[in-house]
Amino acid sequence: MKESRLMLIQYATAVVAVALVSVHLIMQGVIYPYSTAISFSNILSIYRNGFYAIFLEALLVVVLVHGFNGLRIILHEIRQTKPWTMWVDIGTVVAIVATVAYGTRTVILAVFGGVAG
Amino acid sequence: MGTVGEERARNKRGLMGWLNPYHYNAERWAYMFQRVTGVAILLYVLGHLGDTSFFVGGPTGTGPSSSSWAFIGNIFENSFGHLILILVVLVLFFHGVNGLRLILTEFGLIFRKPAAIEYPYKPRSLSSLQKSLIFIGITIAAVAAIWAFLVLFEGLG
Repeated sequence: MKESRLMLIQYATAVVAVALVSVHLIMQGVIYPYSTAISFSNILSIYRNGFYAIFLEALLVVVLVHGFNGLRIILHEIRQTKPWTMWVDIGTVVAIVATVAYGTRTVILAVFGGVAG
Repeated sequence: MGTVGEERARNKRGLMGWLNPYHYNAERWAYMFQRVTGVAILLYVLGHLGDTSFFVGGPTGTGPSSSSWAFIGNIFENSFGHLILILVVLVLFFHGVNGLRLILTEFGLIFRKPAAIEYPYKPRSLSSLQKSLIFIGITIAAVAAIWAFLVLFEGLG
């Protein structure tokens, strides 16, 4: 993908992340008191609300794409050799896929998994 | 423009090419902090992915587990953990507001028309609005950190 397009993705994910993270923070400290927000029963009810589960998945993808793409840009500046550039790009894709997969696993298990004590 | 040798030497500065903004303007300091806070937030997000996974029993869990969630809560829900969260809110808000400023400047929305530099050698393209946004970002971040302090430490009381 062209760097100009990747930069546009960086900006788009930045704007979306600002909106999603703002909502996430409001959920943690404005709508509920913090102690209620992090209680097991409250988190379970939030995850099992389909809308908020989708919201958390979107937050996960947007923040990780923005974060790892930002790190990729910083790493590209350190060296400009072809192998470095290639491995940084590959590492970025692997990191995004692996972390999104791990976070998605949490969301799926929280929504569909059996509740244990 | 420098010689080829000078250009190579400049590239060899590596991270210090952007990490040291000493003797530069406010925009350059904001640029450095944007990157440092970005890396810090990414590290926090990775840690947050790990701790939230304990809601479903951790890496080997199979579903929501109150005992696993209580276990991770005992580690992070204390004064030190809350202090880290306040720092996260501080850098998050600075990164967000300053990032929006960078996007607006990137698309030329808060830039003045470039012109030849004359005495006292201040770049004419840098409008006061975009510079103000740096300090607005710092102010919003400070207010958000105070808000986070009140939210988190009230919970401890």
